[in-house]
Amino acid sequence: MARTQALPIQIATGDPRPIGRQIVDAVRMRIATGELRPGAQLPSVRGLAQQLTINPNTVAKAYAELTAEGWLESRQGLGLYVAEPRQRLSATERDRRMDEAIQSFVHEVVALDYPPERAMARLDKALTVLAKKTA
Amino acid sequence: MNDDPVIRTVGLCKRYGGKLAIDHLDLEIARGSIHAIVGANGAGKSTLFRILLGFLPASSGEAFILGRDCRSLTPADRERIGFVNEEHTLPGWMSVDAVTAMQRRQYRHWNQDAFDETIGHYNVIGTQKVSQLSRGERAGFNLALTLAQQPELLVFDEPTLGLDVVAKRAFLETLLYSNATRNCTVVYCSHQMEEIERVADNLIIMERGALRNMSPPDDFRSRVAHWVADIPFRGPDLRLVPGLLEAQRLDGLYHYLVLDQGEAFADFLHACGARDIHHLPVSLDRAVNGFLAKHHATPRAA
Repeated sequence: MARTQALPIQIATGDPRPIGRQIVDAVRMRIATGELRPGAQLPSVRGLAQQLTINPNTVAKAYAELTAEGWLESRQGLGLYVAEPRQRLSATERDRRMDEAIQSFVHEVVALDYPPERAMARLDKALTVLAKKTA
Repeated sequence: MNDDPVIRTVGLCKRYGGKLAIDHLDLEIARGSIHAIVGANGAGKSTLFRILLGFLPASSGEAFILGRDCRSLTPADRERIGFVNEEHTLPGWMSVDAVTAMQRRQYRHWNQDAFDETIGHYNVIGTQKVSQLSRGERAGFNLALTLAQQPELLVFDEPTLGLDVVAKRAFLETLLYSNATRNCTVVYCSHQMEEIERVADNLIIMERGALRNMSPPDDFRSRVAHWVADIPFRGPDLRLVPGLLEAQRLDGLYHYLVLDQGEAFADFLHACGARDIHHLPVSLDRAVNGFLAKHHATPRAA
């Protein structure tokens, strides 16, 4: 059973960034660095508001933004969870970025004058490591 | 649930001698959420509250609270309104229990759970005399009494003034998370921007008895920007700087705090011969202070 993961973030008043923005940035950073893994449950709106002594509406707005951006997903009646990373991009956008990544890789490899078979072998090895990390 | 504003004034004026403390104020405060009223001393906040609660007659214009004319509030209207003033004025000679019993008799919708939940945050014993309570305890007791009457509208005049950090936090927690305040509209005035940033859904700025802003705090903050420019020759005449709130020259650089200018302000600076231009967002505290400081009376510079 998934349990709510602690969200050890700080907010500062008197900062040029609004409190809601600070929450959005902090959560995104924690997801990007892997401190919050996909499937982790976030604190409730009220819980996080109380933890930070702020208006619950501010937390609700920050969570709504994170959900709209695809960082979080809502499970009916259960709360908010960190979404699987791939859901953040549309299929076309993913394809476009993949093309871009392949293009730049190919250009680099061309410059290195590396035979394609050896390049493929190296690439395969690198991707296997990645697959293990995300498993 | 109705959508009528909880507070409405139309052309409201209050004159003290030759001075207009409230100057043709048209104000509508929507039902729901937490509204913070900010203004310099003498902006008319306390006068407004006194008129709204029927303690003070207006010089002209109209004022309504929960849809009722403020000049003729009945006890039944008053029990729908919870008012907490900055002094937390309560009869000092009475015991906590005696005051509580008196209030319980006065209010038909007395909610003991709300009272107990709130007072539980404070170390108050029933047999203590009110005069023996600390300021923070008196504030907590006052809040507990007010919430127990189950008001629709809470009006606070600087509720956390002079409270220590612990009492202040307990006060804010009750305000934000208590079941007793869940269906309340809260209207409160404060000078503490740190607190307003944490709690307010809506920021109302009053200046010299008039309304100057009504928007979520972040919307107001984004109207104010801080620009820093390196202008090799002389900076522009300050009277020509659009939306100027504050100007400073620090280490040869020109600093401007401006209202409602957007990115176009960079063009203005370029036109003034600026070379290096930086645009910085500001904190809510800075935005409000800059806004209020503009019209604050200052002695003529020598």
